[in-house]
Amino acid sequence: MAEYSCLIVEDSPMMRQLLVFALARVKNLRVTEADDGVDGLRKLASARYDIIVTDINMPIMDGLKLVKRVRTDPVHKDTPIVIITTEGSQEDRQRALQLGANAYITKPIQAPQVIATVKELLKIE
Amino acid sequence: MTKDKRTGSPQSDAPGTDLKTERDEFLKKFSRGTQLTEDFLKEHERMQARLQDLESENAGLRAKVEADQAVRELMQKIDRLEQEKSELVSQYREAEAITTEFTARVQEVESEFANLANLFVASNQIHSSLSPRGVTRRIKEVLAQLVGAERYAMYLVNAEGEQLVPIASEGVPGSQLVPVRIEGTRIGDVLKKGSASVADSDPSQGTFQDPPAVIPLSVDDRVVGTIAIFSTLAQKNKFDQVDFELFKLLGQHAAQALVAASLFAQAEQKLPGLEAFLDLSV
Repeated sequence: MAEYSCLIVEDSPMMRQLLVFALARVKNLRVTEADDGVDGLRKLASARYDIIVTDINMPIMDGLKLVKRVRTDPVHKDTPIVIITTEGSQEDRQRALQLGANAYITKPIQAPQVIATVKELLKIE
Repeated sequence: MTKDKRTGSPQSDAPGTDLKTERDEFLKKFSRGTQLTEDFLKEHERMQARLQDLESENAGLRAKVEADQAVRELMQKIDRLEQEKSELVSQYREAEAITTEFTARVQEVESEFANLANLFVASNQIHSSLSPRGVTRRIKEVLAQLVGAERYAMYLVNAEGEQLVPIASEGVPGSQLVPVRIEGTRIGDVLKKGSASVADSDPSQGTFQDPPAVIPLSVDDRVVGTIAIFSTLAQKNKFDQVDFELFKLLGQHAAQALVAASLFAQAEQKLPGLEAFLDLSV
């Protein structure tokens, strides 16, 4: 059975923990955590990931910049990206989708929604 | 010329009267025999034709009977198949009902798991810091990220026990961040009663005057403060079961974590000596 890898880029330890708990429900999905965009890019440079879940608002490098950089990376240019936003930041959401994000999840996040979105993008039953 | 021995008259080639009669009789009989033979032959032909007709009819009837038998067998087969189909449909429906029930149960379990994960993460985060600022930041994060609160404030009761003083907030203008009297206010009532007050209305439409949720904060059975949620994010238009569980968790853990962190800070991050644990009598 195929094994998938997911990179979570989120500055909040609580949100990271919550995402890890949620994605642990997806079979054969290995999850790696990154604290912010820069840490995310570092991890993307050292390994190949099948999906990226990133927050928008982060220090050092935000999610929008990360999406832009990932789409120019030859290894991950086609990797699905899920962004996590708040309802109020509709502009950020639109911008992220324009930059190449594939889906978005609105806070407060619900584990079933996170699982469903990731499964759909990875085409897992 | 010869003579007839019986009559003694000279014989002639012409037949005698008796012979003639006899001949005529014979011819008549012969003629009738011929007629009978012809009739017999005709009857024979007719009978043969009739026999052929009957045989043909018989063959037709036999074929029809055979066809009817085949139809009957086919009908019986159709009945059997219909019955099998009915049984299969019934089994399919039963399986479908079981699957639906199972799917609903799985969703329920997944939902419960998600709720438990939220509670675990909230509890874990609140107790993962021993600095008052760190604890406060985590409480705010639980409120914002898990509950979906947009504007909220955390109050602690003052030494005189008359007022609730805001110690942390989000989205609340400075002019609103003032001490709240315990007497005659909804936030104060929650402190006095020690039980949460949650409105049924859409929490995203809440106001400072009428917060949709006020949660008491306890330390060892003493209510020492409250958290007031003035409004939630636009998409959070009702509180779910897990929110009520989070309110309980915050009520029981937030103030304790804050007090523990404050004491630890006051003690300049020094851990108590071993002697502090030797007389626990447990």
